[in-house]
Amino acid sequence: MGSNLFTSALSGMNAAQIGLATTEHNIANANTPGFTRQEVLIGSRPPQSFGGSFLGQGVDIVGVKRIYDQFLTTQVQQEQNQASYLSTYHSAMKQIDNLIADPTAGVSPAMQEFFNAVNGVANNPESVPARQTLLGGAQFVTNRFRAIDQRLTDIANGLTGQITSSVNTINTYAQQIATLNGNIKRATAASQGGQLPNDLLDQRDQVINQLNKEIKVSVQTQTDGAVSVFVGNGQALVINEQAMSLRTIQSSSDPSKVDIVYQSGNNTIPLQQNSLQGGNLGAYLAFRDQSLEPARNALGRVALGLAASINQQNQLGQDLNGVLGGNLFNTAVPRADKGALNTGTAVVSAAISDVGALTTSDYQLKFDGANYTMLRLSDNTTTNLGATLPQTVDGFTVSLTAGAAAAGDTFLIRPTANGARDIGVATSDPAKIAAAVPMRATAALTNIGSATIGSGTVNTPLPLDPNLQASVSITFDTPTTFTVTGAVPAVVGSVAYTSGADISYNGWTVQITGTPSVGDIFDITQNTNATGDNRNALLLAALQNQNLLANGTIGFQGAYGQLVGEIGAKAHELDVTSQAQTNMVAQTVAAQQAVSGVNLDEEAANLLRYQRAYQAAAKAMQIANTMFDALLSLGR
Amino acid sequence: MRISSNTLFDGNVSALNQQQTRLLQTQQQISTGRRILTASDDPVAATRALDVTQSDAMNTQYALNRTAVRHTLSLAESTLQSVTSLLQDVRTAAISAGNGAFANSDRQTIAAELSGRLQELTGLANSTDGAGNYLFAGFQSKTQPFVDTPAGMGYFGDDGQRLAQVGASRQMASSNSGSDVFMRIKDGNGTFVTQAATANTGSGVASMGNVINPALLTGHNYQIDFTVAAGVTTYSVTDNSTLPVPTVLSAGNPYMSGQAISFDGMQFDVQGAPANGDAFTVSPSANESIFKTISDLIAALNTPLANGTGMAQLTGSLNRGLNNLDNALDNILTTRSSLGLRLNEIDALQTAGEDLSLQFRQMLSELQDVDYNKALSDLTQQQMYLQAAQKTFSKVAGLSLFDYL
Repeated sequence: MGSNLFTSALSGMNAAQIGLATTEHNIANANTPGFTRQEVLIGSRPPQSFGGSFLGQGVDIVGVKRIYDQFLTTQVQQEQNQASYLSTYHSAMKQIDNLIADPTAGVSPAMQEFFNAVNGVANNPESVPARQTLLGGAQFVTNRFRAIDQRLTDIANGLTGQITSSVNTINTYAQQIATLNGNIKRATAASQGGQLPNDLLDQRDQVINQLNKEIKVSVQTQTDGAVSVFVGNGQALVINEQAMSLRTIQSSSDPSKVDIVYQSGNNTIPLQQNSLQGGNLGAYLAFRDQSLEPARNALGRVALGLAASINQQNQLGQDLNGVLGGNLFNTAVPRADKGALNTGTAVVSAAISDVGALTTSDYQLKFDGANYTMLRLSDNTTTNLGATLPQTVDGFTVSLTAGAAAAGDTFLIRPTANGARDIGVATSDPAKIAAAVPMRATAALTNIGSATIGSGTVNTPLPLDPNLQASVSITFDTPTTFTVTGAVPAVVGSVAYTSGADISYNGWTVQITGTPSVGDIFDITQNTNATGDNRNALLLAALQNQNLLANGTIGFQGAYGQLVGEIGAKAHELDVTSQAQTNMVAQTVAAQQAVSGVNLDEEAANLLRYQRAYQAAAKAMQIANTMFDALLSLGR
Repeated sequence: MRISSNTLFDGNVSALNQQQTRLLQTQQQISTGRRILTASDDPVAATRALDVTQSDAMNTQYALNRTAVRHTLSLAESTLQSVTSLLQDVRTAAISAGNGAFANSDRQTIAAELSGRLQELTGLANSTDGAGNYLFAGFQSKTQPFVDTPAGMGYFGDDGQRLAQVGASRQMASSNSGSDVFMRIKDGNGTFVTQAATANTGSGVASMGNVINPALLTGHNYQIDFTVAAGVTTYSVTDNSTLPVPTVLSAGNPYMSGQAISFDGMQFDVQGAPANGDAFTVSPSANESIFKTISDLIAALNTPLANGTGMAQLTGSLNRGLNNLDNALDNILTTRSSLGLRLNEIDALQTAGEDLSLQFRQMLSELQDVDYNKALSDLTQQQMYLQAAQKTFSKVAGLSLFDYL
């Protein structure tokens, strides 16, 4: 009976001590990420039968358990994953949002300045300073395009680094999880009665949480306490104590970027890139493929459209030296890359045939052994091209430059990707601006009738008629018919005359209006010495507000505005959703912390509780001791 | 519900963060004066602002174009003003030269004066703008348009008329070609011209005539032949343009001085006494340059008259010259009124452009400028929230049971 007192008191002191230790552990780890609070499980010892009644034996420590809710923890991981995806995407988006829409630094003011200079030439076609200003404006606008494209390239290069480091982080976490799996298994096995190593479990949960911030994973718990972690479409990243890894390699379709592959032992398995979702890595990939590259394509289309339209119009004109106009801008050539897995020898090239029909999409050319198909990647529209190249789709022409394609070969065609990078000014000679039209129409001074002739226009599209500048005479043999000399092919006989109707030969069109008299002559000749002719300059200036892109639906400014709008809208959307997601995370974390988090006041109360319990048990011990002393003194 | 101590801190820190972010945004709006700092702040307005900025810049450019056009039009107008007064002087001189009391030498003096005027006119027609570009050379602005050649004044420009974009949908001619201003002037009455044959010996002088029925006009060349037999003067009208042989329209018509002669929709008269065999031609009006009109006058005045004879020729030449001078004046005045109309239109477009510019600025301001009242009130409010959050945070964080242990 006396020894019973001591045992009970001792068990109480022990329990209180363990309680104090656990409380102190909780307090110490209050700020440890991923820590869940622990609680001592105690239970009364089985009673001893004593004279027909049961006598308590004290307290037993059953174990220490962590206060943990699997559901809430998983939810935190998922929300965290989405939150880091959104906020990373948002901050990446912010970079191009700031860059492109800046009213002073974007392409917009540069294009405006260029067209102002074109107007200046239209006002003073003979002025060399005005022409020099136009070349300066052209230089300015190409510099802007190239600078923005360079910035986008820098961002893309930075992304490659970020993707690689994110992949490395993922591999590190996978390794840590595998190691923790082993530790947890061994610790669990070593403990009797299936006690769990709480702190190791917390650590592993925390690592999984960190991993989720990088990429979306799914986790399965095995019976032995280990977890399996899967990424993408179910590729195992961690199984038991073994960690597989991800790796970046040069993209098979586009050498300028990296793809992520799955490494299992010595095998490299390609992954579907869009299956890698969520987290920082998912954000980098989505930003690169869904925002950055489309932005560059859209910018490239504006640059290509501007350069090609100006070039075409300039080629329709005649420069200050009386020579037919050439190119004012250098334009980009579409990119055509062959797939890394191609087995054929085919080399494919692409060329722009109509800037007005270009889209901002990339295309995949595929050969199935008999026929080529062209897949537009923006909306997955397929066009059958038949068995032979060259073929034209959406404003560009693909041709087979060399070799032959094998079945299954693919080629990535990016018509506008280099548009902004490769735009340049083709001439430094201000005289090369073709402000004049190569032909002019004149009414003979000897004409008696009242008919007048318009100044005439050059027929579009290019190429120019080789006989455009040949002299042609229109002579009225009656007031209602005329004969034409000098036209190629020669015009035989008389042509009926209608006032104001188009008269078109040798690649030009003129209108004669009014009543001609017999013998009246109208001459169409080469426009020599035409330093003051601004007809083509006016047409150049008019390109500014013509809808020349996207099949005649938007102008240069509109196309650029569309790009700004799309980027702005996406950034705005991400701003709002990432904000909302951050709040969501805060709520979920609060709910999880409400269960598992340490409350210092609570721990302070526990400290007191266990302190008191210890003091009480010690007092009981003292009383037992006193009782024992009393008993011993009886024998004196 | 349990609250973890971390939640308390985390929640407060993120709330403080959010409020500071908002405060910074408002502060940036106020310091830049712009509501839209990046396109993502308001994508629709940002895109719209780009469009409006372009429209505004184009409108500004049109104003510059108008200034350039106004300059060249004013130059042309002042040149043509000089031409007008020059032609009026020439006309006065030509009228005075018709004075029957004048001797050959008097007429030669006038001819000498007209020669000077002709040179002055050539100078005016070859006017340049400040940069050495000819005003009346069509497209060939660096080529001198009017050069005296052995065959008379030649025009070496072309019919080109330069246009300028003076409004979003308005192109305006900023020049007039020299051929239209100085060369392409119909002689006679604009439809037909009567002329005495050079061999005429009588005193008959034909009037310029007029069209009485446009529907009957043929555009043919006619000849009126006078016959004087036994003191009776008759005339015949022959259409020389019918092929293969000319058609005699009428013959033996009795002639009376000043009586109308009419055929094929045309009517004129001959005054004086034509001699037997005298003839007049009637042909469609052709273009005659101002230079030719004046040099013809000079040639006529320089031709000495023998006593009495040739007076009819001189009168005919002077009549013709005066008539053509009037036509030339008409043409110059028409051109000047067209210049004036264009200048007026430019003024109107200028006013409209300024209104438009104001609208664009206002639209831009509405789209992207900050509303200071709202922004400042927001700032105050956000400041208050932040201060409140800071104060309460320090209070709440200070509550701990450990303080009492």
